[in-house]
Amino acid sequence: MTSLARGAGTANRRARSRGARSWMRGPAPVALLFLLPALIALIVLRLAPAGVALVDSLYRESLLSGTTFVGLGNYLELFANPDFQNSITVTLLFTVIVNPLQVAAAFLLAVLFTRKAAGSRFWRSLVILPIAVPPAVSAVIWSVIYRPDGLGNGILAVFGIPPQSFLTSPEQSLMSIIVLLSWIGVGYWMMFLIAGINDVPGEYYEAASLDGASAWRQLWTITFPLVRRPLAFVLVADTVSNFLIFAPVQILTKGGPNGSTNLLMYDIFTRAYTFADVNKAQAEVVILVLITIVIVALQFRLLRTED
Amino acid sequence: MRRPTTITAGVIAAALALTGCAGSADSSGSSGDGSGAVSFVGPEDPAVFAPVIDAFEAAYPDITVDYTQVPFDTYATTLQQRLSAKDDTIDVFAVDQPNLAQIAAQGFLEDLSDLEDEAKAATSAAQFDINIYDGTMYALPVWNSTQMLFYNKDILDAAGIEAPSLNPDERWTWEQVAEAGAQAQAAGIESGLLLEQAEAYYQLQPLIESLGGGSGITGDDMLTADVTTDGWVEAMEWYGGTFESGLSPRGVGGFQTSAVFTDQKTAFFVGGPWDIGGFADADFAWGIAPHPSFDGGEAVTPTGSWSWGVNTASTNKDAARTFLEFVALDAAGNLASTETQTIIPANTEAAAEYLPKLEALGGDNSAGAADLITYEIENTAVARPVSIGYVQFESIINAAIADIRNGSDAMERLTQAQQQIEDAWSQLR
Repeated sequence: MTSLARGAGTANRRARSRGARSWMRGPAPVALLFLLPALIALIVLRLAPAGVALVDSLYRESLLSGTTFVGLGNYLELFANPDFQNSITVTLLFTVIVNPLQVAAAFLLAVLFTRKAAGSRFWRSLVILPIAVPPAVSAVIWSVIYRPDGLGNGILAVFGIPPQSFLTSPEQSLMSIIVLLSWIGVGYWMMFLIAGINDVPGEYYEAASLDGASAWRQLWTITFPLVRRPLAFVLVADTVSNFLIFAPVQILTKGGPNGSTNLLMYDIFTRAYTFADVNKAQAEVVILVLITIVIVALQFRLLRTED
Repeated sequence: MRRPTTITAGVIAAALALTGCAGSADSSGSSGDGSGAVSFVGPEDPAVFAPVIDAFEAAYPDITVDYTQVPFDTYATTLQQRLSAKDDTIDVFAVDQPNLAQIAAQGFLEDLSDLEDEAKAATSAAQFDINIYDGTMYALPVWNSTQMLFYNKDILDAAGIEAPSLNPDERWTWEQVAEAGAQAQAAGIESGLLLEQAEAYYQLQPLIESLGGGSGITGDDMLTADVTTDGWVEAMEWYGGTFESGLSPRGVGGFQTSAVFTDQKTAFFVGGPWDIGGFADADFAWGIAPHPSFDGGEAVTPTGSWSWGVNTASTNKDAARTFLEFVALDAAGNLASTETQTIIPANTEAAAEYLPKLEALGGDNSAGAADLITYEIENTAVARPVSIGYVQFESIINAAIADIRNGSDAMERLTQAQQQIEDAWSQLR
């Protein structure tokens, strides 16, 4: 693998000095051949649909009067539409709450489960288990928990807490979805952080102990800075995956009550497949991608280390 | 409308889909009945249509029928794609009745006007009308549905409430149901009343129409939303109130509602004929009564299910029509289509034969069901509106019903829905 990469580099240099023909004789064509399946998949499955979405978002197709070019008309109409405005607000609010919450929970659980404590492997497996459950099945399970006469209120009643409305009230529905998603997701992200924590050399902790650093101090000055890379990955990957949440909304709330859980992905789905307004849905896809790129870029900037 | 539980795709379905795409045979030389292969596409499990296909092939040995299942969840979109590509491997296809206008407007359904007289004679008025778009008949009704009031007799007896009468002339009002429900709650039952599809337009339309609120769609082109009339607001306020007061339970979803009745957690339940089979094993006494209406309002019941039509791109139209006529207009054929399903045949003659069997499923509990269903279909059934914008309309209204159920102000939420429908329809024109 490394020799191939090095070889490709030499070929590049040669190509610059002797012209394109010698490029054909180097290992570059072979490298390209090996890369071809991935490149084709990238173009066919990623770039082409993105291009189609962009182009489609500039047109309007009507059942009765055919297709017309409307430029940015779909975007303007979307931004003037109260439902779309609400969907953007809900999505941003959701992003701001769910990502820090999940990453913090995953980090704390990772720290906890890397301690040598009785049964920590067993507990760790329990936390990871929900990943094995398909999201749709998780949603169905939680629909029973969240029912007004369901398990959730049953458990609250044991502690003397009055019944909550969960998914049936606009105030609690988004938070209920966040709890359910964290139940699914936290264990998964925790695994990456556990790998990161296990990579931290034990000597650092020994040295810190000799210097009299407390466990809390060790966590913040050794563990946290040294798992920065996996942490950055987890934050970015978690953010992207949370932008693409669909199944629990579709199964549990259908965006309601009063649009309080109408995340962008669900809004795109209803616009495309229920309202048959594919062009505006494509415009929404473009907007969603732009928002994701901006937020991920921001996260990279914040997490950039000095080195 | 009830989606039969058998629509989930299985391995068998996939296998059948592979063999089912054989395509149509030539239509040359076929006069009258036609011959060759007919490709039929629908959302149900292949086992559902096996009896009717066998019966048809026995009656018309020159024609074979290949059935392809497209699961319900992707049915509308798959059909849209294949029909707009002028796919001639579909000859006959099942049409979800509220979607008929949208499909017909795009020219995907063969004009069946020459069968109008026969169709009118074979089915109920509401089931005939729903296949007409812009003055032309595009499909024939195959299945039908209705709704009735179920009550838990043991609970009513214990609470000292006299059960509602089976006689449509003594139909209970919603107010009466609410009062009796509250009385049953006072006697210890969890809920008084629950509607099976608690957040569906199909289920709530009769309440709105009972108060003269209209279907919600008006205009010559049926693209004018009208969901803020007095009838709409009053009906939805009443409905929201049943949840506010605790008469009906919030948060119980689509597939969980009939279990609330079988678990003896509600005194009254509004459901369809399929529930008769579902409640047959209940270990308590229950009964049926006519679908309620509002005090001083009109008696209105839901109706409608699936029609079938012929693809305009079909290359074997004669045989396709023969198959369609056999299933919709021939009583024996229509009856065969319901052999494995608890669903009402749209053909009046077939229904007359089928309903006593349905009634027998529930034993003494469902005595009188056949006459009641026949009465409602003939006298009180009001179909969902025929409009090319129905799909958008239904989705927005269902969301509004769900919000009102969860406590939104009816007037405010319906005004919002009105705006949402107008927005969604603006791209149809």
